[in-house]
Amino acid sequence: MERTEALLIADLCEGDETALAPLIEKYKRMVYRLTMQITKNHADAEDVMQETFLKVYRSIRTFRKDAAFETWVYRIAVNEALNFVKRRDRRQERSIETTAASEFSEALRYHASHANDPHIHAEKTELRRYVTEAVNSLSLKHRTVVILHEFEGLTHAEIASILNCSEGTVRSRLHYARKKLRTLLKPYVDAGAI
Amino acid sequence: MSFKCQKIQRLLSDYIDATLSERQMKAIVEHLDTCRSCKREAIDLKKTCHLLENFYVEPEASDAYYAQFTKTLQHRIEQSAPTALPQRVYEASTRLTWQLTARVRRYIDRCLPTGHISVRQKMLPYYTLVAAMMVLLVAPFALKLVPSANNDEHPLQRLYAVAKAQLFSTATPVSRQPIATLAIQEDAAAAQPAEIRRNVNRNRTTETPVLDSNSDVWQFTDDSTVEGYILTTLRKNSKRALPSVALDIDSELLTYAELPRQAAAREYPTAREVLTDGRYALLLLQGIRSGQQALQQYQRKWSQTEGFSRKLLDVPLEILSITEVYDSIEL
Repeated sequence: MERTEALLIADLCEGDETALAPLIEKYKRMVYRLTMQITKNHADAEDVMQETFLKVYRSIRTFRKDAAFETWVYRIAVNEALNFVKRRDRRQERSIETTAASEFSEALRYHASHANDPHIHAEKTELRRYVTEAVNSLSLKHRTVVILHEFEGLTHAEIASILNCSEGTVRSRLHYARKKLRTLLKPYVDAGAI
Repeated sequence: MSFKCQKIQRLLSDYIDATLSERQMKAIVEHLDTCRSCKREAIDLKKTCHLLENFYVEPEASDAYYAQFTKTLQHRIEQSAPTALPQRVYEASTRLTWQLTARVRRYIDRCLPTGHISVRQKMLPYYTLVAAMMVLLVAPFALKLVPSANNDEHPLQRLYAVAKAQLFSTATPVSRQPIATLAIQEDAAAAQPAEIRRNVNRNRTTETPVLDSNSDVWQFTDDSTVEGYILTTLRKNSKRALPSVALDIDSELLTYAELPRQAAAREYPTAREVLTDGRYALLLLQGIRSGQQALQQYQRKWSQTEGFSRKLLDVPLEILSITEVYDSIEL
């Protein structure tokens, strides 16, 4: 008989290690997606994923049953990833954000100048790449909010709870992130490449 | 751009998400009907969201990768399990007890009508009793199996002596005994007692792992001989101010203490961690010598005060789990 999530959590709290595997199975894709988008590096994402699930395993007894388990996992994953990226960027001389943003802007300028070229314009694969790169070029704070809201479908309140900030801050970050994206993707927005 | 347009444009993101009040939504719609630049802005933002929705590529990994990842994670969890024999015995007996009781519990769950979740709670004392019995049954055999050149000094013997003293002694609980004195100093080196300066070296480059920027490692040395390490992680916020569970986990206090195996006639160095920048606390255990007397005095203590936490401990060969809350006033 398949155990429900609540039962798995209860079992894990009581020391049943076999309850961990189904929980990992359920959340691994979500955690990978999230950590990969925040760290922008596969190896780093794997490290953060491991730390996330280790924390889930070690801290399951601190999980409040009245909260949603998914949001709790989100919170751990996001905080782990953000801490990881902050530590990593401190170590690096040149910020990844700056690098990515400048490289992206350069590439986009090239594409904007060729916006009338039907071959480039029509290729949705290219568009996908540039939209993805545009999101990746956002600052860490803005990117995190965009990922959680646009792609994970979380509400402002849920994001505020995960990031431990006010809903107003979330709204503001989302607004500026969208404006920045609109600027970055202007050639495609203006050309109506949708 | 007019002031009203600026105000409206700040709300456009929320307008797209439809998270505004009905009144605000209506006001924006009315404004967009009359203002071309704001309407252009709203359309552009909508198109941007549409681009994100339809053309953003979310990262995904293969099933093989996830399978490998799960295997690696399980391996890491197993590796991070306690390595000391008494703990392994305890873990194994707990697991066995769990498996046995889980079968009973599921059998009862099946027999009872749905909704009787409280059966688990009713069974909890029995689980505990069975686990305790298993530990008591297994521990003597485990002690016999371990070879020991010097009975007085073997870690198991020492742990056993501590457990025996704790369980069967009728004297005042050790945690209540005035075995400690606490000194909080503003000036680090000046007021430090000479013997502690000799014995305690703060060393960040030790091979003992450093957890993060909040961690601190104290290395206890006597001349060139390493006596042991204490690794601490400081909690910067008070419990009430902790912003999230995750931060709570980050700031979990970890401590590892290792004692020399051979009995030494000298006192053990015993000092504690930095509390905040420029301030430190030393806990000096008085007159502790090796052997059973020392072990009876080695206790775990933990206290938390507003703004910071500190942990004071000494338990041989054991990764601690914090179980006792120690009243700082007593210190």
